[in-house]
Amino acid sequence: MAGKEDKVLLRMKVNGEEAEVAVKPTWTLLRVLREELGFTGTKKGCEQGDCGACTVIMDGKAVNACLVLALQAESKEIETIEGLGTADALHPLQKSFIEHGAVQCGFCTPGMLMSAEALLRENRKPSLEEIKIGISGNLCRCTGYTKIIKAIESVSQKNREALTPFRGQ
Amino acid sequence: MQNYQFHGPRTVGEALNILSERGDGCRIIAGGTDLIPALRNEDILPDSVLNILEIDELTGISEEGDTIRIGPTTTFTEIIQSQVIKRSLPLLVEAASSVGGPTIRNRGTIGGNICNGSPAADVLPAVVALDGELELQSKALGTRIIPAAEAVEAPYQTRFNRDELLTGILIKKLPSETRYAFEKLASRNAMARAYMNISIVLKLDEKGAFSDLRIVPGTLEAVARRMSAAEKILMGRQPEDSLVEEAADAFVGDLAGVWIPDYKLPVARSVFKRVLKRALNGSGVE
Repeated sequence: MAGKEDKVLLRMKVNGEEAEVAVKPTWTLLRVLREELGFTGTKKGCEQGDCGACTVIMDGKAVNACLVLALQAESKEIETIEGLGTADALHPLQKSFIEHGAVQCGFCTPGMLMSAEALLRENRKPSLEEIKIGISGNLCRCTGYTKIIKAIESVSQKNREALTPFRGQ
Repeated sequence: MQNYQFHGPRTVGEALNILSERGDGCRIIAGGTDLIPALRNEDILPDSVLNILEIDELTGISEEGDTIRIGPTTTFTEIIQSQVIKRSLPLLVEAASSVGGPTIRNRGTIGGNICNGSPAADVLPAVVALDGELELQSKALGTRIIPAAEAVEAPYQTRFNRDELLTGILIKKLPSETRYAFEKLASRNAMARAYMNISIVLKLDEKGAFSDLRIVPGTLEAVARRMSAAEKILMGRQPEDSLVEEAADAFVGDLAGVWIPDYKLPVARSVFKRVLKRALNGSGVE
């Protein structure tokens, strides 16, 4: 058993690729993603699980990366905003956010997109209420919720199967 | 965060060994939605942290005769989506749905909600209202079962021994026609700590009188318990308006001057009446 100060090897899959990182037991998944692996698209906000800026998808479920100890992510599949789309090949949700003007300062956007993606994978045609619940853990301090909800609704109305699949799958 | 050793056992046996060796300085982590902020704020300073999320025996929902067994690491999302819970313990679905937002419900667990011992827990009062029992295991005492109502001694302090692990939440299926209601009052609909919540389970006999009644508020007291004064007034009688008013007086009388400030009592009174009416008007479990 490693001592308290020692780093421990963590293996997980991030955006479809194997990642091996030596981590301290006190580190969170958020810290490893941002500071060890460079996935800075995942934002660090409140670090208390209140704001949703660090939302990633872990084994298919949206979670707050700040509320997962790095070592709890052992052998898990993590998807971050970097895996959702690229500047050249935007994910339909990203396109829709741009088309609907659903991005203001942009800080909440990666978390909003990951929550929306997790929602649409489970529920292809969510109702307005279900969309609101789906992003209820994500704060937008510019308060641009209406456009965000419309952007998600617009994607949900299209045929999901015809859309670009997630890059990591 | 203070440094600690991380343990990731795969079986209950391994976890019990670790707890027996390191009981005092060891904190158990499941979903971590309460524990990780507490670690970060250094409210707690454990020597070691025991992750129980990889122990398969501790998760999932199963039916054992007329009892439903819920593994402690079953998440709120899993409870909400479970057909068994929806059918037999719908009160739990309502309580679990009121916790946090989707990301919190995807990580947070029923066992964590109980063991954290927060006065503002949303699911623990519902488990108490359902007369739930907790199965605890340790190397020293083996297996013992205690009522969920006895789990918490004081805020954030359980009555479990330091080497004990919660291994199951056991709840009897509600008899048919049992009615229920849950309501949470908070600053907003999601991601909010309860100002108060109330779980009610009741049954009326053929004459329309209360034959079973369990009223358990959360956040209104340090530790969730049944409001026996209000229950006594209603039991065996029909829910007429004047009687409900009398019970509401008893409900706030039971709370007054102890934990919540007086100015909240009229709100508690009004929420109590609303939840009771909702339960009475509900269709009940099939």
